[in-house]
Amino acid sequence: MPEWLQNLLGGAAGAGLLFKAYERLGDVGDDALTGMAELAETQLEQAAFRPYTVTSATGSQFGITQDPTTGQFQYGLQLSPEEQAFQQRMFGRAGDFFTTPRGAAGLTDAGIEAVERGREFMGQAAMPTMDREQAVFERIRAAQRPEEERQRLATEERLAAQGRLGLRTAQFGGAPEQFALAQAQEEARNRAMLSAMQQAQAEQAQQAQIGSQFAGLGSELMRQRMGLQQAGQQLGMTALGASYLPQAQLLSAITPGMTAAGQQQQAQMYGTGLFGEARATGLEALLGASLGQANLAGALGGGLLSGVLGSGYDFDIPVIG
Amino acid sequence: MAQQLQSINLVAPAFKGINTEDSPLAQDPSFAEIADNAVIDKRGRLAARKGYDVITTPSTSEYLVVDDTDGFAVGETVTGGTSNATAVITLLHSSTEILIDATRSGTFTASETITGSDSSNTATFSSISTSASLGSSAIRMVHEFENDQGNTEIISAGNSKIFTGTRKLVDATPGSYTITADNWKAVNFNNKTYLFQRAHEPLVYDGSSVVKLSSVTGAAGIASRYGNEVLSAFGRLWVADISADKSTVYWSDLLIGHDFEGGTSGSINLAKVWPDGYDEIVGLAAHNSLLIIFGRHSIVVYQGAEAPATMALADTVSGVGCVDRDTIQYTGTDVIFLSHTGLRSFGRTIREKSMPVSSLSKTITKDIIGLIQGENNFFRSVYSPEESFYLLTFVGQTTTFCFDVRGSLEDGSFRVTRWPGSEFTAYTRLQNGSLYIGSEDGISKYDGYSDNGTSYRFKYFSPSLTFGDTSRLKILKKVKPTLVGANSATVFMKFAYDFATSYRTTEFTVGNQNPAFFNVNEFGTDSSPLSEFTGGELTNQRSLNAVGSGSTVVVGLESDINGFALSLQEINLLALMGKTV
Repeated sequence: MPEWLQNLLGGAAGAGLLFKAYERLGDVGDDALTGMAELAETQLEQAAFRPYTVTSATGSQFGITQDPTTGQFQYGLQLSPEEQAFQQRMFGRAGDFFTTPRGAAGLTDAGIEAVERGREFMGQAAMPTMDREQAVFERIRAAQRPEEERQRLATEERLAAQGRLGLRTAQFGGAPEQFALAQAQEEARNRAMLSAMQQAQAEQAQQAQIGSQFAGLGSELMRQRMGLQQAGQQLGMTALGASYLPQAQLLSAITPGMTAAGQQQQAQMYGTGLFGEARATGLEALLGASLGQANLAGALGGGLLSGVLGSGYDFDIPVIG
Repeated sequence: MAQQLQSINLVAPAFKGINTEDSPLAQDPSFAEIADNAVIDKRGRLAARKGYDVITTPSTSEYLVVDDTDGFAVGETVTGGTSNATAVITLLHSSTEILIDATRSGTFTASETITGSDSSNTATFSSISTSASLGSSAIRMVHEFENDQGNTEIISAGNSKIFTGTRKLVDATPGSYTITADNWKAVNFNNKTYLFQRAHEPLVYDGSSVVKLSSVTGAAGIASRYGNEVLSAFGRLWVADISADKSTVYWSDLLIGHDFEGGTSGSINLAKVWPDGYDEIVGLAAHNSLLIIFGRHSIVVYQGAEAPATMALADTVSGVGCVDRDTIQYTGTDVIFLSHTGLRSFGRTIREKSMPVSSLSKTITKDIIGLIQGENNFFRSVYSPEESFYLLTFVGQTTTFCFDVRGSLEDGSFRVTRWPGSEFTAYTRLQNGSLYIGSEDGISKYDGYSDNGTSYRFKYFSPSLTFGDTSRLKILKKVKPTLVGANSATVFMKFAYDFATSYRTTEFTVGNQNPAFFNVNEFGTDSSPLSEFTGGELTNQRSLNAVGSGSTVVVGLESDINGFALSLQEINLLALMGKTV
């Protein structure tokens, strides 16, 4: 065999070995990559969250799931029917309490009515008393007039009997009795006027007082309404709090479950880690072996080539390691 | 066979006054059919009335106005030192006026000295004045003003003027004041005299001058107080009978006669008080603390008028009113007034507290009604307690009735006589009791027995005398009058039978007896005997033969009164009773 051929064959074999080493190295890499990817996937799979459910003693449940598509975690609380009923009842009660308390509307209406009345009375109290004075005066005069008319007629009859109907005096205008009667009537009229003024003022004060009372009553009613509403809200809040009590209790109840799940997760993660480490170790061993093979093939091939091609060509095949 | 003469003795004939109401045949012989110019004298006899002496001098009489009249003597002649004019002093009229007679010669010159012929007294002459002229009018109002000091002065009205004075009338009519009538009524009030007349502003005299009431300081409400009637009573002036308001009485403020608007003045309208529904105020009177308001047909009486504002109706009388304000007179115990049916009076009964009205002229009712209806002028009246009569004059008919107020007849009437032809137009009784009369002659005094020197006819005619038997013939034989007084008077004795109006007359002259007075020598100075007293009143009895016969006999007596009183003591008639006719 020719040398050339031998060289050629040696070269070819060296190149083939080199190439083989090269490919081997690539395969090692690929294998490493694949193995690590598989390891990763395995570990990922092993380390993946595992949904779990915690069930309390009262029957309520807490569960965490992961959306397989989005990967989002979802957790769910599931109360027991009794707790749900309780919660609903509490919610309802809280809702009831948060809505206008019973009687508050009446208080509001009554308060508004009272305020309105108070305003009316205040408004009336703020009005001038002249009209009322006149009205009271007319009432008083209406009560006085019949007696005054009787007295006037009696005086007239008396004067007629005494022949004094036509009496006119500079001192009294008419007869002294007429003057006295007129004076008495005027005094009565004046008293009526003063009484009317006093009455109107008293009524005004009374109206102001009543208005004030109504305003106070309205304010009190509104305050009571607010108190009632506040109490309702408090009760609502209490009911609302109570409504979350099963949930809270559930949440309290899942803590141990959560701990157990966490421990399980940790154990899972630890196991996964161990698996990964073990797998990675295997891969590393495999890779090392592959690298040795590749390095061997490479060195062989390089030697072959260098033999073929002279020493001028140094095929420095990197050692993978 | 001769019959015995039957005697009818008419003692104090007609002492019951005239009676024209009862049938002559049934009358008491004490009545008279006619009693003219007569009065009932103090002894209850029919007597001649007094006459009047005119005080006022004619407007032609002259008064010398001098600075002082002291020292001059009545009857002496005064002579002007410059003019040599002379006049005889008739009267020292005042301290500055000398009334002289009509024999003045020459004309006195102003500022010359006049000297009395006897007294040699001198004074400075300034002018001649005369009494204000009445013209053809008469004194229609006489009033005596008396002030707080007791000084009196006569105020009169006539000829559309206001006068002061009596002998010499001084025109005191306010300037710029027109008087259209003389029917004034004057009253004294609070030291002044107030004069009211319809449709005339009231006047007031304060002792010095007459002024319009509205001109008095503080006067108020005068314009609507032109009343025809005024009364001074209860410390106020009361005014009524205003032309536009005949139902209202106005009164002044207390003691302020010129204030009708202030103080306690006032008024009362009687329109609703008149008992007959409507009337008009004619007169006012105050009596026994009552205010009496006379309407024409009714009377309203108020009590408590001292405080008019509280006075009250005390009584009303319907159907009887007052004819004229000037017929109202006070007699002290009563109020006399002329109603449409005769003279009436208020009698007062305290126990019954009512006001009955009685007639005082029942014996002449028809006569007086006739005169009232025929009167178209005005009325005047006066009450004289001194003369004991109430005179009522129908001025337009010149007739005066004299009511004797000393007593009344059985039916309550006053004894009444008649004064026909009396020209009296005003009366007033003075505080001293004198009776002043107004007439065309001026102011006169009711005194003496002649009408200012003129005689007047006293008449008496009996009613028809039947001697107790109207069926038998009477043959009058003797008429024997007994007269008292009538010195030297001619007396006409008359008689007639059977209602005949033509009388048989016989006359005689009463004897003469000049009265002697104390300290007056009847027979002249230093005569012997030195003086002589009269034997009392002259009484004259005559026995006169009578003729004729008839079933009734009327006896009359007439005499002209001219200076002496005449009283008819009695008339004794002697008659034979004849056959039955």
